[in-house]
Amino acid sequence: MSTHNPVQTRKDLLTIGDLSRDEVIQILDTAQPFKELFTRSVKKVPTLRGKTVLNLFYEPSTRTRTSFEIAAKRLSADVTNFAVSTSSVVKGESILDTIDTLQAMQVDYIIVRHSCSGVPEYIARHTHASVLNAGDGHHAHPTQALLDAFTFREVYPDMAGKRIVVAGDILHSRVARSVFEVMHMLGVEVATFGPATLVPKTIPSYVRLLKTFDEVLEFNPHVLYLLRLQLERQKANFFPSMREYHNRYGVTMERFKILRERGTWIMHPGPVNRGVELVDDVMTYPRTLINQQVENGIAIRMAVLYHLTPEEQKRLPLPEEIRS
Amino acid sequence: MSTLCIQNACLVQTGESSPVKTDLLIVDGIIQEIGVGLAVPSDAVCYDAAGQILMPGLCDPHVHLREPGREDSETIASGTEAAIAGGYTRLLAMPNTDPPIDAGGMVTYVKSMAQNQSRIPVSVAGCLTRGRKGDKLAEIADMAAQGAVMMTDCNHALQDEYVLRRALEYTRDFDVVVGVYPDTPALSGEGVMHEGEMSFRLGLQGIPAMAEEIAIERELRVACAVGGRIHIQNVSTGEGVASIRRFKAQGLQVTAETTPHHLLLNHSALVGYHTRFKMMPPLRTPEDQEALLAGLLDGTLDMIATGHAPHTDFEKHLDFMHAPFGVTGLETALPALYTELVKTGKMSWAVLVEKMSTAPRKLLKVEALHLRVGERFEATLFDPEGETVISRESMKSRSFNSPWLGETLSGKVTQVFLGNEALMG
Repeated sequence: MSTHNPVQTRKDLLTIGDLSRDEVIQILDTAQPFKELFTRSVKKVPTLRGKTVLNLFYEPSTRTRTSFEIAAKRLSADVTNFAVSTSSVVKGESILDTIDTLQAMQVDYIIVRHSCSGVPEYIARHTHASVLNAGDGHHAHPTQALLDAFTFREVYPDMAGKRIVVAGDILHSRVARSVFEVMHMLGVEVATFGPATLVPKTIPSYVRLLKTFDEVLEFNPHVLYLLRLQLERQKANFFPSMREYHNRYGVTMERFKILRERGTWIMHPGPVNRGVELVDDVMTYPRTLINQQVENGIAIRMAVLYHLTPEEQKRLPLPEEIRS
Repeated sequence: MSTLCIQNACLVQTGESSPVKTDLLIVDGIIQEIGVGLAVPSDAVCYDAAGQILMPGLCDPHVHLREPGREDSETIASGTEAAIAGGYTRLLAMPNTDPPIDAGGMVTYVKSMAQNQSRIPVSVAGCLTRGRKGDKLAEIADMAAQGAVMMTDCNHALQDEYVLRRALEYTRDFDVVVGVYPDTPALSGEGVMHEGEMSFRLGLQGIPAMAEEIAIERELRVACAVGGRIHIQNVSTGEGVASIRRFKAQGLQVTAETTPHHLLLNHSALVGYHTRFKMMPPLRTPEDQEALLAGLLDGTLDMIATGHAPHTDFEKHLDFMHAPFGVTGLETALPALYTELVKTGKMSWAVLVEKMSTAPRKLLKVEALHLRVGERFEATLFDPEGETVISRESMKSRSFNSPWLGETLSGKVTQVFLGNEALMG
């Protein structure tokens, strides 16, 4: 029944922590030729021909789902979207029931997005298919972190000793957790910045805590990584108002001028709240990498699918098919 | 006349510094003789208990039997059979059934069901407030008259200090104890595990220790002011233990319990998101584990309760956020505590018996069990060389949400005696 031999190949990608440093670098290296494909008129390789990729999104996310879908299609896999409403849980269908259904359909890869932490891990334990975590609760978003590392590496090929500040709502961010891990693994100095209510004392010890924007400027990051602020956090009293958040923790016009002068790179996982995390002008700043992140997302997701496929099952693209 | 003879047993009980090897002769449920090499009457039923520990029957002061209402997860029959398998000869049934036990008639109903369906005595707790809603006192005198020994709203923590005050005052002159579950819901909120490094790493919402610490302080402060007997359930934090210690030193009449899982496990067990480790209060830190053990040993914590909370597979197969809190405990408590604490020398048999038999029986106002001539014989036989496999097949409970599911623990309950009757096998 098993489609792979788990001894030879990693079956699932659930968190960055599952990967070794060498594997991370291997994935980044693999993404490179895939990205080069995108400039050609035919953007497809036959690597996963005959394989089925299923998008299992319990939480709406057009961007990530589309990115996975394009990645799988460019590898020639068949892609299906399995629409599940979170309410089916309430109606008496457990996740396990859904997994049994999918198991019967013999899919090869399941891309999971769920609002509850740990669900991809639970699914992975109960299926033979490869499970890719496309974001679970506040826990992890490994492909986002890998594409961020890839984007960082495009700007700074030698990442070791470079500096990044991840700013915003750390407490509720799966992106922050995964970005911390991957950057630390690749030797980047990691610092964080945000309201004390949203930056818990329990962050990993290797992450430096910055308390004011002046401290951020003093740390002088090569990349300032802004997280999306969920608007509902204000209601739960994590901070008093958007205005105050922007003034104290956002990239204001005044701060933007300093960052622009220094040539600091800006990253953001999207979608952006204009006027909250950053002022509008940042969007047109040449060193804002948001669109590159989106483009690289496809290449990274191709590389991850490739990485999770046993060698003998790959219909390997001939070198000239990629490089030509 | 029926005679039972237990030979070569190692006797342990409260106050005994080390196990004593001896024979016992029991006639019609009463211990007739204790001594080495007793003459065995020809009609006696004999047990060779060589190498085995004989202790007073255990008593669990915190069990959710789920009947009436949730018979899919447990019944009085299955829950009490699980208790027997775990070495218990009595338990206290919690009132959060559906409908809840919040009136005298319900107490009578559950007691009579237990009389028919359970092979061991079942004590019954009633609700402190009507429907466990936390606002209006339930008819406590009526329930007490029908035999309820504790009044508690279980995991619906009393949030209103006024109601707590009136409840403690009102029950002061009754022979009942008020059981409180120490939590501050405004702080525990939607949390699903202990708030700390592990909850950050797993991306799960945390339940801060202060939710319990503040509740214990508040509850004991009210008890101090108005009197009444108060029992703190499910203590899980070191600071909570410290508060109880302080109030006890001031002379407050308070008893407190902790559980085997809070003693033996901590929040690192949650890596992997297995819902069989999801409970309320949550598993805390290794430091809390140490403080709980110290609290038991110095008498701050009086007893060990399992808080046996069965849930169906379907419920526990939900994701970690939506699966219900609670784990079963009746069948694992004794072997787990033996494996981790007694066998390792961290706790003596005498203390274990005090915490799992003597103190809970005192709380429930039933006579303590002594393995002495002239006393009623109610005892558990435990083979320290045996082992207990915790599996779906081995468990008597209808539910399998045990933190030790799939594990093999040291030691094994080999027999449970209620008078002359052997309940196992």
